[in-house]
Amino acid sequence: MTGAMQTFRVSPFNPPPSALGLREDIRAFIKQHMPPTEAPQRANCWAVGNREFSQALGRAGYIGMIWPKQYGGHERHPLERYIVLEELLAAGAPVGMHWIADRQTGPLILRFGTEEQRTRFLPRIAAGELYGCIGMSEPSTGSDLASVRIRAIPDGDGWRVSGQKVWTTNAHNAGLMIALLRTGEPGGRHEGLSQFLVDLTDPAVTVRPIIDLAGGHDFNEVFFDDLFIPGDMIVGSVGSGWKQVTAELSLERSGPERYMSCFALFLEMMRRAGPSPDAAMTQLIGRLSAELWTLRQMSMSTAAQLAAGNDPMLEAAIVKDLGNTFEQELPRLVQAAADADLDLSANEDLARLLALLLQISPSFSLRGGTREILRGIIARNLGLR
Amino acid sequence: MSDESLLTEAAARLFGDLAAKRNDPFTDLWAPVEEAGFPLLLVPEADGGFGGSWQDAFAVLRLAGYHALPLPVGEAILAAWLLNRAGLDQPEGLATIAPRIDGVLADSRFTGSVAGVPWGSEATAILAVLDRRLIVLTGSDATRIEPHENPADEARDTLHFADAAVASAPCDLDLTALGALIRTAQIAGAMDAALAQSIAYANEREQFGKPIGKFQALQQNLAVFAEEAAAVNCAAQAAFAAAGKYDGAAEFEVAAAKLRANMAIGVGTSTAHQVHGAIGFTKEYSLHPLTRRLWSWRSEFGNDRHWSGILGGRVAAAGADAFWRNLTERSDP
Repeated sequence: MTGAMQTFRVSPFNPPPSALGLREDIRAFIKQHMPPTEAPQRANCWAVGNREFSQALGRAGYIGMIWPKQYGGHERHPLERYIVLEELLAAGAPVGMHWIADRQTGPLILRFGTEEQRTRFLPRIAAGELYGCIGMSEPSTGSDLASVRIRAIPDGDGWRVSGQKVWTTNAHNAGLMIALLRTGEPGGRHEGLSQFLVDLTDPAVTVRPIIDLAGGHDFNEVFFDDLFIPGDMIVGSVGSGWKQVTAELSLERSGPERYMSCFALFLEMMRRAGPSPDAAMTQLIGRLSAELWTLRQMSMSTAAQLAAGNDPMLEAAIVKDLGNTFEQELPRLVQAAADADLDLSANEDLARLLALLLQISPSFSLRGGTREILRGIIARNLGLR
Repeated sequence: MSDESLLTEAAARLFGDLAAKRNDPFTDLWAPVEEAGFPLLLVPEADGGFGGSWQDAFAVLRLAGYHALPLPVGEAILAAWLLNRAGLDQPEGLATIAPRIDGVLADSRFTGSVAGVPWGSEATAILAVLDRRLIVLTGSDATRIEPHENPADEARDTLHFADAAVASAPCDLDLTALGALIRTAQIAGAMDAALAQSIAYANEREQFGKPIGKFQALQQNLAVFAEEAAAVNCAAQAAFAAAGKYDGAAEFEVAAAKLRANMAIGVGTSTAHQVHGAIGFTKEYSLHPLTRRLWSWRSEFGNDRHWSGILGGRVAAAGADAFWRNLTERSDP
């Protein structure tokens, strides 16, 4: 047994020399441009949208950072983008408006889209003006993505679509949806799926809000009523949707947003605890610091692998599940360790942050691949099944 | 082939061979490790050492943990590095480190005791830090040796000295932190080995007409185990990288890594034993050399309370507004 199995490949996070000073630049930008926010908005801030802030980021070159300049990008290194993202999340900046477009819509178009699609959409995304959403789930399709039913039926030089997508985050802000639709026979699985760009301003599209248990609005239902999708809006080739969807999963699973959703609560807990807390609080701060530091190392290592052109499927699944577990435990631990007089109805920062995160944290291990799906991926990669 | 892979291949081969003979006398097991030059891993080539990096040390010590090697490889590597750094001579034979020291140093003479010393009764030299001085005790000067063993049967001896002559030099390093650092690499290796054994067993052992690894309940538990093993490996490697960057003084990273490693051990060992069932609980089966070490190492060079107190105290004192800046400053180039 000299192989000495190692589940997690560790790669050093070595940004290029051009990253020197970038952290200070983005910090200065945030200081100047971040709008005044209430404490709860600094939590889970990649689901908090602000159009002006996204446009300011776009103008400063912080969206589409790694895309070619000819498409409005800035040709920065992926690890430079990583630094900017973690600084925005650490500050609790409202980046929800453009987050999906920068993370998924743009990269998908760049990788699989046509020249015309790139020229048409990428510059507006990079400018912080065009936002995206992902249309995968349907009423009968959740984790089992291959069960997508809505069909795109050939019609002249395009496709006709009727049906309902659901749990579509950011559809109420987005101009563009990446929709996973069935182009093969009904009842098929992976092989008959294709990805399309859907113009959400089309009158045949209706977006209806779904209000979450805490009163928030991230999710939507999206209805297609005999929608016509022009033939040039397919992404990649007919039938390659599944391959394209799975190719980008590592990109969305290992980022800093997967462990930082409760970072604002951690900071607020420390602020309240002061410089010399009692032993129990000191130890909790130590424990959470150790976990957070470790998750940051793991996320950075996975980012380095992605930057090197690898597909760290296993590592990304591990980062997401561990990160989600951490950010879900945090509210519970803070609630348990807080001063006995912490009143969840009080109008003060710690109570408001905690009250919100207790309620919304269950979603952290649902979005972007459920805990059970991720652990299944990990098990398969370990050689089980 | 890089030097690093040559080094790890040599280590894997030797440690694997030695682990198969784990009940042989210590001196028989230790001699080939010393002959291969592993204790001098971190000593510069110019001084007759291997000239390896802290990352090399991680790779080697991870393999020592992977094979549940019953030898103080990490302690010897640290001792040689500390001696070299202090400009002191390397002794013949085993040099180890003392986690605890109690006594008085005056005029280069020491009276007192050292405790919990890995293979202290076998050591030619025992290094300890007292009042910010590195002191080098000579094993044969001990007036009394109390042999002790940790729950994994590894020697953790107490040695008493009376007016013993010692070499010494100023030292600003925390020996507990350095000891914790080497344990994180060993824990990383032992976690991966216990995971590998558990997976192999789950794929082979059949119940209800199929390998138990086919059951989702086991798969999900082993996935969580893998996540914990991954966390320890990543944390330990990052702590070694920081030790390289800060010339051994990476207390923040060591505190975080040892604490994270300690936290992972519960999940790892309980899942490994649960998957193995009764066979894993027997003396003859090869799981306990790993799990009993993991339980022992969780206490050694700082338990959860020790490191969470130090790390939490440091973080709280710096304050919430400095947290992120400090975190990024330490990892930025």
